Amino acid sequence: MTCREAIAKLAEYLDAELTPEVLQEIDAHLEICAPCRAYVATYRKTTELVAKVLRVELPEDVKARLRAFLVGHIAHTK
Amino acid sequence: MDDLSLLKCLRAGDSSALEVLMGRYAARVYRLAQGITRSASDAEEVVQDVFMTIYRKGDSFEGRSALGSWIYRVTINAALNRRRGKRQEVETSIEENLPAYVEDGHRAGDRTYVLADWSQDPEAALLSEETRGLLNRAIDSLRDDYRAVLVLRDVEDLPNAEIAETIGESVAS
Repeated sequence: MTCREAIAKLAEYLDAELTPEVLQEIDAHLEICAPCRAYVATYRKTTELVAKVLRVELPEDVKARLRAFLVGHIAHTK
Repeated sequence: MDDLSLLKCLRAGDSSALEVLMGRYAARVYRLAQGITRSASDAEEVVQDVFMTIYRKGDSFEGRSALGSWIYRVTINAALNRRRGKRQEVETSIEENLPAYVEDGHRAGDRTYVLADWSQDPEAALLSEETRGLLNRAIDSLRDDYRAVLVLRDVEDLPNAEIAETIGESVAS
């Protein structure tokens, strides 16, 4: 397996959506290819950190305004 | 109570149904809206729009897909519409940042060169202000629909097939 072939299947590899045979091929490639190994590790870490940045909480004041807006509108249309 | 029954109760003006729906979906809608619009005030307006849509059109929801999927599609459409006309930044091309390969499919350059692997960097793990700023700027430079995928996949943990279906329908409309 070449680097191009391994990286092309990276998303499925990380989501464990590959057949055991293809998974094994990629694992074998990563064992001998340090650049691809570093790329996969960095990709995984980047995904983790991006998720941390994007995982925002719904602020309480926004929730309160949303509730007031919707309750007001529902009451108005009853 | 299942989602369809909740929608019926909401249409009938039951405010407790509203609380339950908000509890189930408001945070997810806000996260997705904020991820796409990159603006807290726009995200708040999108959440209001989405819940008004749920209230007005909820009785036309037939239950062929999960309510959550429908709500995600409505959110993406609302957020993308809000972004139209605001897009002034130059978007980064994904292709420019992908690895380069030589003809035989191996990585271009010296194969003994190890790409800087910062996955073990403890500072990166702590998400310093500098790292957070760097990541935010990188996220801001993506296409709007790519950001939607990031949120659905990496924050909401949706399976790839469901993401493809949700995004496909949203972008097509």
